[in-house]
Amino acid sequence: MNLDMIEDENAGAVGSALIKVISLFFIGIMIIAFTANPISVGTSEGQRAPDVEGKFYNGSGWSEFNFGSYFNTSWEEGDINGQWVAIEFMDTDCPYCVKSAEEYGEYADYFSVNNPNWDGAHVNFMASATELSIQGHDSTRSEIEAFRDKSAGEDCAGSDCSSRPGPVHNFPYIDDLDQDNMAEWGIPGTPNYFLIQPDGIIAWSSSENTNEEISDAIFRLVPRAGA
Amino acid sequence: MSSNLILAIYLIPTLIGFFIVSPWGNLLTSSLKQRFPSLETTRGQLLGGLKLISLAGFAVSAQTLWISSKISEGGSFCSTNETFSCDDLLGNSELNVDPIFGLSWGLIGMAVNALLLFIVFVLQQERNHPLAERLINMGLLTTGVGILVIGLLVSYEIQEQRICLYCTTAHIANIAALVGFFRLKKVYDNNSEWNK
Repeated sequence: MNLDMIEDENAGAVGSALIKVISLFFIGIMIIAFTANPISVGTSEGQRAPDVEGKFYNGSGWSEFNFGSYFNTSWEEGDINGQWVAIEFMDTDCPYCVKSAEEYGEYADYFSVNNPNWDGAHVNFMASATELSIQGHDSTRSEIEAFRDKSAGEDCAGSDCSSRPGPVHNFPYIDDLDQDNMAEWGIPGTPNYFLIQPDGIIAWSSSENTNEEISDAIFRLVPRAGA
Repeated sequence: MSSNLILAIYLIPTLIGFFIVSPWGNLLTSSLKQRFPSLETTRGQLLGGLKLISLAGFAVSAQTLWISSKISEGGSFCSTNETFSCDDLLGNSELNVDPIFGLSWGLIGMAVNALLLFIVFVLQQERNHPLAERLINMGLLTTGVGILVIGLLVSYEIQEQRICLYCTTAHIANIAALVGFFRLKKVYDNNSEWNK
């Protein structure tokens, strides 16, 4: 059998250049891979919490919410001085959110540096209030205010907001009526809770721990002076 | 090592490369011609400058990818000043990736500069390679599209009211490479100049 060899005398330049460039590229990638350990943004435990955007109500008025200001990326595990974040994704017309408002408010008061009975790191509580796309769940900022302040004149899940269980909440409520934060966080339903470390990493989520209450997660995860 | 010193390691070769590929490049290369004979021709001078620019562009892009990764871990790198803070931009998970595929800008920069280096290596070895014209056009097109990307990234800087000097160095490298490929194209079109 007679085989005719076809030679490309210019292939050497391309091949040699390709080897050099691919080697350089992989050396660069390998250096980055060995010296950095990137953490992705997401809502699973161990991921960096996505942003929460919108206006928030703190009892006196609505202003721009800065979620990033709650975190300190240089926080180290075990440091009791770092402040943790507990966030609830809720709807003021969701019956279970109304029911759990009492406990959530009590937790906010308990896991605070102002409570002498709590010797752990301070936990900042907050709620992101949405309007679920379900009939009868129409909501407004006035309704969010009424839910937080327990003021009369607005309807929360079929009853006047002033009659919801528990005390007035002292933590901020973020307006997520457009469901942007819900979508960003991939929240399947309300209420949904997350506990976030002072460095912005999600430590616990109710959807991954269906058998544990957020209060138990705080006792288990948040560092305490006596521990 | 301070972040400013690291920045200088990328910025200085980028600026030297920019000067070499500029019309005034002869002023710098004339004293180096004896040591580096390839700089005797305009083609050699442009390819040498482009190699320096692409290497610096590749390295600074890799550095930005590394900074993004470190910030995602919770570290900080260059957030010393209110305005000149690359951490706020490179650490922003929405702005540090391209809006279509979600690829890190640093990784894209590495790939683009690797492509430019490939073009330079081929042309340095075989100036009359059958793909030479196509490769020069590819370099011109890639760095031209890079100008649009720079526009987008600068708009992010304006929006965030922050300046990322590492990103700016990568942008300068792209502009310098565009100038280099533009001049290389002109030299290629002048057959006698190209084959000197």
